Amino acid sequence: MFHLPTVQFTQEQEQFRLDVRTFLQDELAKGTFTPKCDSWLSGDDPEFSKLIGQKGWIGLTWPKKYGGQERSSIDRYILTEEFLAVGAPVAAHWFADRQTGPLLLRYGTEEQRDYFLPKIVKGECYFGIGLSEPNSGSDLASVSTRAEKVEGGWIVNGQKIWTSNAHLCHYMVTLVRTSPFDRKSKHAGLSQLIVDLHAEGVTVVPIKFLTGEHHYNEVFFDNVFVPDNMVVGEIGNGWAQGLAELAFERSGPERILSTFPLIDELIQELKRQNNLEGLQQASKIIARLWGLRNLSIGVAQLLESGNSEDVSIPAALVKALGTKFEQSIPEITRLIVQTYPTLDAQRKIDRFMAESILHAPGFTIRGGTSEVLYGVVAKGVVAQ
Amino acid sequence: MSEMRDMIVDVVERMLKEKVDKDLVDTVEQGHWAPELWELFKENGMTAVAITEENGGAGGDLEDLLNIVRLTGKYAAPIPFAETTFANYLLEFTSLQVIEDLATYMLCPNQAFTLENGKLTGEAIQVPWARYTKHLVTLAYSTEGTHLVEIDLSQAEIKLGSNLAGEPRDTVIVHHATVSQVSAVLSPDKVHTITTLNSAFQLALMTGAIDKINDLTVQYTKEREQFGRPIHRFQLVQQHIVHLAGETAIALAAFNNLTEALQMNNQNSEVAYACIRFEEIIQAVTTIAHQVHAAIGTTHEHSLHQFTRRLWSWRDEGASTSYWTNFVATQLLENSGDSLWGYLTSYSASSPLLKVEG
Repeated sequence: MFHLPTVQFTQEQEQFRLDVRTFLQDELAKGTFTPKCDSWLSGDDPEFSKLIGQKGWIGLTWPKKYGGQERSSIDRYILTEEFLAVGAPVAAHWFADRQTGPLLLRYGTEEQRDYFLPKIVKGECYFGIGLSEPNSGSDLASVSTRAEKVEGGWIVNGQKIWTSNAHLCHYMVTLVRTSPFDRKSKHAGLSQLIVDLHAEGVTVVPIKFLTGEHHYNEVFFDNVFVPDNMVVGEIGNGWAQGLAELAFERSGPERILSTFPLIDELIQELKRQNNLEGLQQASKIIARLWGLRNLSIGVAQLLESGNSEDVSIPAALVKALGTKFEQSIPEITRLIVQTYPTLDAQRKIDRFMAESILHAPGFTIRGGTSEVLYGVVAKGVVAQ
Repeated sequence: MSEMRDMIVDVVERMLKEKVDKDLVDTVEQGHWAPELWELFKENGMTAVAITEENGGAGGDLEDLLNIVRLTGKYAAPIPFAETTFANYLLEFTSLQVIEDLATYMLCPNQAFTLENGKLTGEAIQVPWARYTKHLVTLAYSTEGTHLVEIDLSQAEIKLGSNLAGEPRDTVIVHHATVSQVSAVLSPDKVHTITTLNSAFQLALMTGAIDKINDLTVQYTKEREQFGRPIHRFQLVQQHIVHLAGETAIALAAFNNLTEALQMNNQNSEVAYACIRFEEIIQAVTTIAHQVHAAIGTTHEHSLHQFTRRLWSWRDEGASTSYWTNFVATQLLENSGDSLWGYLTSYSASSPLLKVEG
């Protein structure tokens, strides 16, 4: 079985948590933002991103020379928890902070780091992640968007889909095929390019979410020129580079806490009602949350110690279990208290219920469906 | 984990692997005692772990002890190791003298004995291993309040019984028995702490058994072939494997976190959360393991039942799950000002959980 480390936060870390919390409570009191469930996907607010950029809270772990704070990934874990627990609008800079920065630090050129990281840190430069295509969902290696070599760069043609917030992003790290598909080595010939989403030939078309909200997009490439200096890492190494990102993507607090504002409001409601029996039922939610958080923090600590090969399987497990948990919250809540979920409700619990119910189907799909993750975990467990 | 703990865990695991097999567990279930195994634990100083050195302890702390208990659960070691060590831990915790012989305990609040003029009277069922142990540590009510007492079991009438796993669970009856030691009156907080520690020992045993059941099940999916391939190749079986791995990983991480929190004297809700969560874990783990093992797992010949039957017994032998859901609910109500998130992440280094009162 996986042996995940335990983490005891230091006093400095406890203080950092309180500092972040105080800041968020102050901003909440000022009306800077409205708390939301699933705020890391649906809470896009560039002004808020700039505000926390000023606090130094984007790129927290990155080297100081690029504008980071060189703090630990446990510090970042705490920061992320505080944002999500209160439902703060962190979607705009989310993927740049979580994925693009670490990717560039690991595989990017010095030029790319110098150019992009300081802008990301300020909360002014947003990245999308271009992976899925209409015919490549779970079977990601089958992507067919292609890049052909020309003088000074690459010409990209094809289409990406389900790209979260591409309409707000400046760039997209795009997985493309740079040599023809070979059935025998499906993972070869893939590369990662940084595509300027405002370049000629790029078209971003909204896909309305089932609520009518605009989060996802289709992104079309029609002879888009990408200069050589926008290749990330090595040509042909895109699959391996992408895999390295996955542990970060899969195991964070956002796989557990997407519906936390609803849990918190449920408890507040039960306390207002002095409802001991309801709180007893709700204690099971808290126990499950605690159990998952131990796992998730354990993976974060493994990542911190740089042991990334052992991490992919527990990280996939955290996502599979965590998203199932966050998905279950509205269904449990409605059996404990009476709610009338609507998106424009006056009562917070009704609004959080509506957001949770309507966003819940996506939790176990985005970033790798549970079925794909189950396959990864099962094979990993059997191979141990 | 510290290097010292790694070493202890390593030694104990090797010892158990070598000395405990299905036959031994069967033999003890049939009503025999396992003297060699007990002597081995005693000789190696394992029964004196976490006892302070001035009381003849062997070094090591509560976290070390709970990890040894976890291993005795993982191998279904048929000796009252958890019982004897926890009885002694409680005696030290309430400022009483530790004892060297085999001991057991009974902490069920509705089975407490009455204490009058230094004499103990009452009856308790399901007392673990009472027939083999020399001392009983139990809660007792006097006109002043609740105490922890220790008596010599030679004064007791003992009726044999067993739990679902065939482990000795006897009825102990005493009339005006002489009490060897009695603690000062215990505050309700202190009684709660004793309950918490009791559950921590149960959780240690159960974590070990869960870990073992996961190992057995994964191994079986590799060995068992149907339709020309090992069954772990079937996606529906893989779904079982992942569900089981998830529950096992959560149990292990929960155990590691709660023992660390107990040792560091940090918070006292971890044991409550773990007890509530283990209720679900045990249900899932035992169901999945038996489903994957199919018919052979339901036979006495296979060893799976030595662990699933233990889980079905042990889960009911500490405080009930409703005790813990009520505890968490009450804590939440009393924390009127704070948000849930504030409550969950609160940091209180000064929690009195394990402080021994003078």
